[in-house]
Amino acid sequence: MITAGLDLGTQSVKAVVIENGKVVSRSKAFSGFDPEKAAEKALDKALKDANLSMSDVGHITATGSGMDMATNSNSTVSMMGADAKAGIHLFPNARTIIDVGAEEARAVKCDENGIMMDFVVNERCAAGAGAFIEAMARALEVELEDMGPLSLKAERASSINASCVIFGESDVVSLIHKQESKPEIARAIFEAMADRVSSMVHRLGVNPDVVLVGGVARDIGFVTSLKRKLGVDILIPEYPEYVGAFGAALVAAKRLKKVQEK
Amino acid sequence: MKKQSKEKKYMPEISQKEVQELRKTITTTSQQIITENIKKMKKTDPNRPKAMKYFDEIADFTKREKEIRAAKQEGKKVIGYMCLFAPIELILAADAIPVRVNSGWYDASKLGDRIVPVEVCPMVRSTIGAKMIALSPYLELSDTLISVLTCDGMTKLGEILSDFKPVWTMTIPRVKDTEQSLRLWSEEIKTIKGQIEELTGNKIRGKQLKSAIELTQKATKAFRRLQELRKGPPVIMGRDAMLVNQTYMWDDIERWTEKTEALCDELEERVSQKNWACPPDTPRVMLTGTPMIWPDNWKVPTLVEEANPQGILVADELCSSERLLFDPVGVDEWSMSDMLNAIAERYLMASTCPCFTSEDGNEDRINWLLNKIEEWDIQGVIYYVIRGCMLYAMEYIRVKKVMDSKGVPVYYLDTEYTREDVGQMKTRIEAFLEMLSARIDL
Repeated sequence: MITAGLDLGTQSVKAVVIENGKVVSRSKAFSGFDPEKAAEKALDKALKDANLSMSDVGHITATGSGMDMATNSNSTVSMMGADAKAGIHLFPNARTIIDVGAEEARAVKCDENGIMMDFVVNERCAAGAGAFIEAMARALEVELEDMGPLSLKAERASSINASCVIFGESDVVSLIHKQESKPEIARAIFEAMADRVSSMVHRLGVNPDVVLVGGVARDIGFVTSLKRKLGVDILIPEYPEYVGAFGAALVAAKRLKKVQEK
Repeated sequence: MKKQSKEKKYMPEISQKEVQELRKTITTTSQQIITENIKKMKKTDPNRPKAMKYFDEIADFTKREKEIRAAKQEGKKVIGYMCLFAPIELILAADAIPVRVNSGWYDASKLGDRIVPVEVCPMVRSTIGAKMIALSPYLELSDTLISVLTCDGMTKLGEILSDFKPVWTMTIPRVKDTEQSLRLWSEEIKTIKGQIEELTGNKIRGKQLKSAIELTQKATKAFRRLQELRKGPPVIMGRDAMLVNQTYMWDDIERWTEKTEALCDELEERVSQKNWACPPDTPRVMLTGTPMIWPDNWKVPTLVEEANPQGILVADELCSSERLLFDPVGVDEWSMSDMLNAIAERYLMASTCPCFTSEDGNEDRINWLLNKIEEWDIQGVIYYVIRGCMLYAMEYIRVKKVMDSKGVPVYYLDTEYTREDVGQMKTRIEAFLEMLSARIDL
C-alpha cells in the first residue's frame, strides 16, 4: 500500500511517499506565491525519485497551514494530528511533540496510540519560530546555519526580549552597539526563543519522552537552549522537517485501509 | 445628581465629512456581513427551522431600529446598557425600552484606537469607534446609558461615552456573598430606579413592576425551553440558538418570547421525527469566555460549525448568549421591597462574570461549566478570549485544571477584532475538533 503526505508549510512544501509505514522518498519545494503548484512539484519529484507514478498512490493527505490549497490531495489532517501520528511512530514512548517551523511553534500531548490529547500553538507572532533566527542572523551578518555553532562558543548569554521579531531585532542592534560579542548575542537569541517555546510547552506539561520536530530542530543552538530550559532530554528524528508530511502519509495509509476494509 | 459637563473629556474632533465616509463604508460592510453570516448559517443547515426567519429579520438591525424610533416619537425613552447587570425589569416597568449597546463591529475597533491604546479590549475600542461615527442604531437611540462598573474596560468605556450621553454608573461589588455587598447593590438598584423614574417621568409602581417581572420570567421560560432542547441530539445548530439568544438584547421582549416558543414548538416536532440539524455523532462543543457580539464577531461559532471535521455548539457560558436569561427573577411576595430585593439578588448572585472573586474564587462559573458539561453532554470546551480581556485570560488556568480533572479537553483560543486571523484560527479549531472526533472514535 503506497500513500503520500504533503505538508504545505509557510516557507516550504514537503512531500513524503511511504509504503507499508516506511518512507520510500521525500522531497521539498519552496511555497512561494503558489503553494498549490509547489505541492504538485514536491510530490512529482518524490514520486519520480521512487520510480512511481500518481496512479500508484492510494491516498494523499495534506497538512500544514496551506493544506486546503493542495488540490491533488484526497483528505486533510491538522498539523498537530500529523505530528502526533508521526512522532509516536518514530518514537513509541513520545508523549510530548514539539514542532518548531518557520513561522509557528506548537506542542502536542499524545497518548500511546498517537491520539492527540491536548495542544498549544504560539501566539500570533513568529518570535518563537524559525523566522526569528533568520531575522536575527541578518542583523548579526551571520549565515543562518552558522548561528547555532556560533552560539555554542558563548560562556554566557546576553539578554534580549523575544516578544516580537521586530523588537527583538532592535534589542540585538542595541547589543551590537554595546559591543557584546556575536556568540553571546547568538546564544541570547536561542535562549529567548527557547524561553518562549518552553513556557508554551509547560502550559501543556512536560511529559517525557519529548520529541522535537520541524526545520528548527536542525539548529544545534536552539536545541541546546531548549534542552537547558526544559531540563529533559530531547529526541530528534533524522529528518525533522519532514515529520508533518510523514504523519500525513501515515494518516493517509490509515484512511486508505479503512476504505479498503469496507 | 451632578450635572455632566459639556466639554469633551476624551473624544477628539473629527470632521463631519470623515465621519460620514467611515459610517457609510462600515455600514455597507456590516450589511454584507449580516447577509453573509445568515447565508452561511442556512448553508450549514439547509433544513434550518422555519421559525428562524423571524430572528434573521431582527438580526438585521433596520426593522427594530424603525420600531424604536417610532416608539421614541411617541415619547418613549430608550435606556442602553453595556453589562448584564442593568435591571431590565425596572426599565420595562417605567415603560422605557432596554437595549444592549456593545459593539461587535471589527472595523469600528480601529477607530477606537484613536482614543485608547490597542492593548485595550477590542469590544471596548469598537464601542467607542461605533459612537465616533454613529454606527450603532441602538447606541444612537439611547437617551441614557447604564454603565455597570464590572471590568476595567467597561468602567472606562462608560466614562468615555459620557462625552456624548448621560451615563448612569452602577457600582458592583467584587465579592457577591457578603451582607455588605448585597446592601450596596440593593442601594444601587434603588438609586437607578429613581433615575429611571426621573428620566421617563413614570413612577414605577408595584403593578407595573410585577408585570415587567412576569414578562422577563416568561422570556426566561422560553429561553430555558430552547436550551433544554439542545441537551439531546442536535436539533438546532449552535449559531442559530446563539442568534435567538442574542436578539433578546434589542428585540421587543414580549414578541421575542412568543417567537422563541414558536421555534421550540417546531424543534419539538423535529425531535419526534428524529430530524437532526447535523449528524448526532458530531462533537459537542461549549463556548466560554469573552462575549461574542453580532454581526462581525461571529467568526468562532462559524468556524466551529463549518469546520472539517465539523463541531456543533450545544451550550455556552457567554454574557452575550446563555447568561442573558438563564436565571429568572424569583419573587415570593409581590411587595415593592420584595420585588426590588429579588431583582438585586437575581442580577448579582446569578452572574458568573470573572469580575467577581471570593474565598473560593469565581466558584459559580466553575459550577455552571460543570453543570453544562454534565447535562449537555459536552465533549470539548473552547475558551475564547479577545486580547485585552484580562479577567477571562486570568481565569483560564483554573478552568483548565477543573476540565482536566474531568477529562474534558479545553482549548484556549485568543483572537482580536479582526478578520485577518481566520485562517490561523481555522487551523486551531479544526485540530481541536479532530482531537475530539479521534476521542469519540476510540
